[in-house]
Amino acid sequence: MDCSGCCALIASGICFLIFLARFIHLVRLGNPKDLSQKSGDTKKAVKYSFTEAMMPKNKESAYLHLPTYIAGILYHIGTFVTLISFVSFIVISFTKISIPYSVSLIVAIILAPAVISGISILIKRIFSKELSLLSGPDDYISNIVTTLAQLLTAIFLLLPEAGDIYFIVMTLFFLWLPFGKTRHLMYFFFARYHLGYFYGWRGTW
Amino acid sequence: MVTIDNTKRDKAIDLLRSESDSKLVTHLNACVRCGLCADSCMYYLAMKEPKYIPSVKVNMVSSIYRKYCTFEGKIAPALVNAKKLDEEMAAEMVDLLFGACTMCGRCVKHCSIGVDIPFLVKKGREMLATMDLVPETLQSTVDAAVNTGNNMGIPTEEFVDTIKWMEEELTDEMQDERARIPLDEQDKELFYTLNPREPKFFPLSISAMAKIFYAANAEWTLSSKYYDVTNYGYFNANTKEATIIAENLYNEVHRLHGKRLILGECGHGSRANRWEGPNYLKKKYDFDTVTVVELIAEYIRSGKITLDKTLNKEIYTIHDPCNLVRNGGLMDEIRFVVKNAVENLVEMNPYGKDNFCCGGGGGALAMSEYNDRRLKIGKIKADQIAKTGAKVVITPCHNCVDQLTQLNHTYKLGVKIVTISEIVADALVINNK
Repeated sequence: MDCSGCCALIASGICFLIFLARFIHLVRLGNPKDLSQKSGDTKKAVKYSFTEAMMPKNKESAYLHLPTYIAGILYHIGTFVTLISFVSFIVISFTKISIPYSVSLIVAIILAPAVISGISILIKRIFSKELSLLSGPDDYISNIVTTLAQLLTAIFLLLPEAGDIYFIVMTLFFLWLPFGKTRHLMYFFFARYHLGYFYGWRGTW
Repeated sequence: MVTIDNTKRDKAIDLLRSESDSKLVTHLNACVRCGLCADSCMYYLAMKEPKYIPSVKVNMVSSIYRKYCTFEGKIAPALVNAKKLDEEMAAEMVDLLFGACTMCGRCVKHCSIGVDIPFLVKKGREMLATMDLVPETLQSTVDAAVNTGNNMGIPTEEFVDTIKWMEEELTDEMQDERARIPLDEQDKELFYTLNPREPKFFPLSISAMAKIFYAANAEWTLSSKYYDVTNYGYFNANTKEATIIAENLYNEVHRLHGKRLILGECGHGSRANRWEGPNYLKKKYDFDTVTVVELIAEYIRSGKITLDKTLNKEIYTIHDPCNLVRNGGLMDEIRFVVKNAVENLVEMNPYGKDNFCCGGGGGALAMSEYNDRRLKIGKIKADQIAKTGAKVVITPCHNCVDQLTQLNHTYKLGVKIVTISEIVADALVINNK
């Protein structure tokens, strides 16, 4: 592994440790200490929060905004593929295994709509009056860094000579991930948990 | 422009460092500002101004959190949307967190992440309360409750006179001396509470509930001093004042040895006592706390009261109070009671957990400086009601009744607004022989 690869590996390690520390912190803080008499089933509601409540038919943010919702789903799939690909590249770099071109091509094809979605979401943020008022540098940086990470992953899969630029982008991506709004990678799951816990406690879900 | 005392500002910021559990830090870090919550908010839908998008309100609070409580916010605030809590920010917070959010929670259910937006709005209100920046009108409502025992400052004599008058009417109507409205009686099964709007403006709703108690042969009492179910301390977010108000009621239940606290028809009052009260007082209540909707449902199921729904022949619709339905889990219970009391029920669209707020929640009715906004956002509710074709709107919340009455007048809906106890009382089959 060359220098840029090592940088990306170190950045990913830092990123992982920060998220791990935050994860442990949140788990230690635990559930709200609610002294009111529970009315519903919190476990059932937490499960509902992660499943049915996420279905497009149950969320205006999905069914009223289907193109954005679909773009968001594709974008997030692309991010997870990007993260898995990075881990795969690192593991493979320590072995003599190589990724078959057909697999690289399939992953790159999966990433293509994700990149397009990322760009479209960025364009929407720039040109929408509502979104531009809401937005700050974090919103643009988070989008650009993530979209670039997806794009460079796809390129690197097809053109191994793009390794240096790929690892530089991944270094930036991992260093930004815990500090930008991209940190919702972890907080999302806790937010859904708390949502289910709250509604479950009160018997709403 | 407002002025901020630095010491109080520091105390306000400290509220964001609270680590009693993981909920606050989670929600402060979870919003991605996608803006998709906009279409779930009445303020945005009615006024189409970006500042009313719920995530703008979230971002006000979380940007202060980032500025003072995070590493990245301290070293690179501009990069991560971290902002100072200065006079300008505080003024914007007052306008949007008090004046442009009813804390109905509709946006939460539809948030793509699941951020508890009203929870953060309330945290922002707590910060403003710490800096003495609660709108005066709302604060005076809380002051009245703290100083007089009820939020309208009704003198005890006036209240007792009203109750005695309603009792005489009830006794005459039932032609039975046992049809009473007991005051300050000890060791009764039920300690009943009211929204002060009832003795002040809607005394018939007191006699309606008294009629139900009479039909159910219930042992109950009202307190002449602490009968107020409301707690506007929940809305001004001054925890100390909210605790005083909740504690007054708690102590009164104990003084009269009530076994069950029955929360009158008030959405936020039910929420403040049923869900928040034990947390204000930092102890589990040693008596049951039950809303009047649940109690009536219990009476119907157990056969303690009999209803004849043919006595209510109009077309009815239900307005779901946010604090009882989305934030209180009573959607089905309300429908169980109403369907037993009326023949024709037409639901609004959307209804239940997706229902729109009446527009008067979150303390909005107490803040006259935001009356124009309140009536403007209420058009959404008015349109919903009009589309049902109903002649009567039922809602188990006097706060909602007040707002709906104003909407009825403003938008010329020509409907009647009633509470659940009124509609149940009208359907009662009473055999007092």
